[in-house]
Amino acid sequence: MNGLTGNEAVVMKNVCKDFKVLNRHEGLKGSIRDLFSRDYKTVSAVKDVSMTVNRGEIIGYLGPNGAGKSTTIKMMTGVLEPTSGEILVNGKVPYKNRTENCENIGVVFGQRSQLWWALPLVESFKLLRDIYMVPQKDYEGMIELYRSLVDLESILHKPVRQMSLGQRTLSDILAAFIHNPPVVFLDEPTIGLDVSMKAKIRELILGLNKEKNTTVILTTHDMGDVDALCRRIVIIDKGMKIYDNDIDHLKNYFGSYRTLKLKLADDTWEEMLIDEKTTDVMDVIMARQKETKIKDVKILEISTEDVIKKIYEGSSK
Amino acid sequence: MRKRGLGFYAGIYRKILIQDLKSKMSYRADFIISTIGMIMTNLAGFVTFMILFHNFPTINGWDYHHMLFLYGFSLVALTPVQCFFDNNWNLRFQVYSGDFIKYCFRPINVFFYFISEVFDVKGLGQLAFGIGTIVYAWIKIGIPLTPLVIAKLIVFLLTASLFMIALMNFAAATCFWLKGSGYVMVIMFRFKDFAKYPASIFQGIFSVIFTFIIPIAFIAYYPSLVILTPDNVPLLSWISPLFGILFFYLSYKFWMLGVRKYDFTGS
Amino acid sequence: MNLKRLLSLTRVGIMSSLQFRLGTFVTLFANLIYLVLVYYLWKAIYASSGTDVVNGMTFSDTMIYLILATALFNFLENFVVWDMSRSIQSGKIALDLLKPMRFRKYTFWSYTGNHVVQFVLTFIPTFIIVMIVTKGAINLGLNLLWFIIATVLALVINYNIEMMVAPICLFTESTWGINIVKETIVLLLSGASIPLAFFPEKARMIVQYLPFRAVYDIPLSMLLGKSGSDTWQGLVSLFGLQLIWLAVLTIAGNIFWNCAVKKVTVNGG
Repeated sequence: MNGLTGNEAVVMKNVCKDFKVLNRHEGLKGSIRDLFSRDYKTVSAVKDVSMTVNRGEIIGYLGPNGAGKSTTIKMMTGVLEPTSGEILVNGKVPYKNRTENCENIGVVFGQRSQLWWALPLVESFKLLRDIYMVPQKDYEGMIELYRSLVDLESILHKPVRQMSLGQRTLSDILAAFIHNPPVVFLDEPTIGLDVSMKAKIRELILGLNKEKNTTVILTTHDMGDVDALCRRIVIIDKGMKIYDNDIDHLKNYFGSYRTLKLKLADDTWEEMLIDEKTTDVMDVIMARQKETKIKDVKILEISTEDVIKKIYEGSSK
Repeated sequence: MRKRGLGFYAGIYRKILIQDLKSKMSYRADFIISTIGMIMTNLAGFVTFMILFHNFPTINGWDYHHMLFLYGFSLVALTPVQCFFDNNWNLRFQVYSGDFIKYCFRPINVFFYFISEVFDVKGLGQLAFGIGTIVYAWIKIGIPLTPLVIAKLIVFLLTASLFMIALMNFAAATCFWLKGSGYVMVIMFRFKDFAKYPASIFQGIFSVIFTFIIPIAFIAYYPSLVILTPDNVPLLSWISPLFGILFFYLSYKFWMLGVRKYDFTGS
Repeated sequence: MNLKRLLSLTRVGIMSSLQFRLGTFVTLFANLIYLVLVYYLWKAIYASSGTDVVNGMTFSDTMIYLILATALFNFLENFVVWDMSRSIQSGKIALDLLKPMRFRKYTFWSYTGNHVVQFVLTFIPTFIIVMIVTKGAINLGLNLLWFIIATVLALVINYNIEMMVAPICLFTESTWGINIVKETIVLLLSGASIPLAFFPEKARMIVQYLPFRAVYDIPLSMLLGKSGSDTWQGLVSLFGLQLIWLAVLTIAGNIFWNCAVKKVTVNGG
């Protein structure tokens, strides 16, 4: 590929991925018919996606369920081959050099632990050290860094099967960084965790990114993750990239939007999104007051979540 | 790229094995139940065998002790597949649930990584049972005991194991293409019960099928002839080690092809 | 609990079994191969024995018995123990217990769909092949009806045996061990791997009164008109044996299951 500066961790150019699936029919009769059917259809999971991720960046890769996020991640990790287009991760084609690519990436897949179930965490670390051929000095340095970021002692000698979900996720993230890979993929790392654990995980990711200048590609549904971690977001819907820019730009773009919350006579809150460029907030309040009693008023900045919702809505129109 | 050779893999396997054994020790109840299960299957197999011979004195010209030798031979040959390749039984569950993908994120051979995860101690009980049977039949038949014969025995036992491992690899890997392929493994595993009978019972086209396509005849019959009938060893017995390596290699390639073809759509 | 709701579980089961289309054909094919193996083995065994009838069984009797036993095995096979152990290990069992239906009942009816598919895809073709190959050696009369009734009873007995074993998974993770012990005992003592007629006299006396026989040996004996099933008295005593075991195992299974569930609730799932 031309025009690269050498500072790119991941480059995708016009990437498409199609799957062939059987057209299934409904009902009992349909099931019997499907036994003999050759009726396949092609489903495009990813359509012509291009993007560049620079070294040291944390980007949020967002989209509704089934938008093509996981498929993209699977292509970047070398597990799936794109139907067309080019991908470079650390300057190499992931699918063609799967093993080599794996040396330079770390992956965490939400609730799926990749650690040895029965082993204490420290033994998993040591096995990974051997598998990735990490020099002992680097390994010890990494463990020291971990100690400074999280309470390592409480989990280090615990078998993974006995850990809570939060501890397991934490361990998985630590394991993904142990060979100090230039790029780490985190797929829904905070899913199912409580608030304090989420905060810990975010802190850890930020800390590791800062210390090691690791590029982090993060998929999530949790806007808290995005606000806390990402400077830039890429949004994908129905396989197509629909947004790719700084998170500040996003807020500027929708900056004129305000969330107006009104507490009505029956103590319920009414919520509406208002574009100040076209509508005056005060006018809305006045108009509403004529109809009903308003006990309290709150005017909020638009949240990232609302912004994303707006973008989804815009793309599906 | 740094090279990961045989020594590297042996080292990793040894470490995983030690850790695995350590953790197994802490689950005594599981271990005892598995061991009982193993003893029960072997006893049941033995009882079936005895009942058969209670009714029929010979099978296809093979008398009780020769059959016993073949039986013991097949038990020992089945040990490696039990001990080292047991994780194949979990393959389809991991593939359907999507958990299999984790094996693709490490810079090591996927097949090795997957298989190395489980070591099954209970197979060792079967090994003891099989060796006991071989020794007993050995004495009764009166096979001379020389270092050469022992060396042959070991080589051809390993050969026989290769066939069984390869068969189970093939059967397990079908899950990459077929949903609901569990039954393929179950029936393949049941095919092995026929390994302990002389393959000369098959005729015509089926003799070819059970020799070259589903090589049940190689799980015990052909390799054991080297020991049992030293004056009259068929060519197939002599070339069985080469054939075994080839068959294992093909099964490995098939397994890896499955990994490549699979689209990991499991949620 | 109305039947319609239960039958809808059967219907969903049939549909999900058929989803595995290629798998279905492979299963069919693998079964045929297995039958070929059984055929050659017993042909050789009878050829070496020198006589045509051993313990009252001719070669074709033995073949029909074993082939249909295999077909019956495939038809009856379910993965209750495996499924339960996985749902215990993943914690899904807690959800299953919340379903608005008694768990044992729910599971049973969920498996029926698979049994129906197996019956159509493996048992009936096997039966037809046997009929053609043996040129109608199986008498087609009332014995078919007795066989079908006995098979349904066998299905329920088998399910109850499974349900007796499955809760052991709450206490250990060695599902393999539990399953293999169960399978080995059932297959050997039910006469599925070797006809009970070949058992030595004393062993046969004991095995005759165990529940396992009710799963394979009794339905097959009825089909083939053996074990006295060609007389009314014989028929009554065989059905009686099945019904007694059915009652005993259902009650015992219920008690055992309830104790096990208590343990789940105590441990918080």
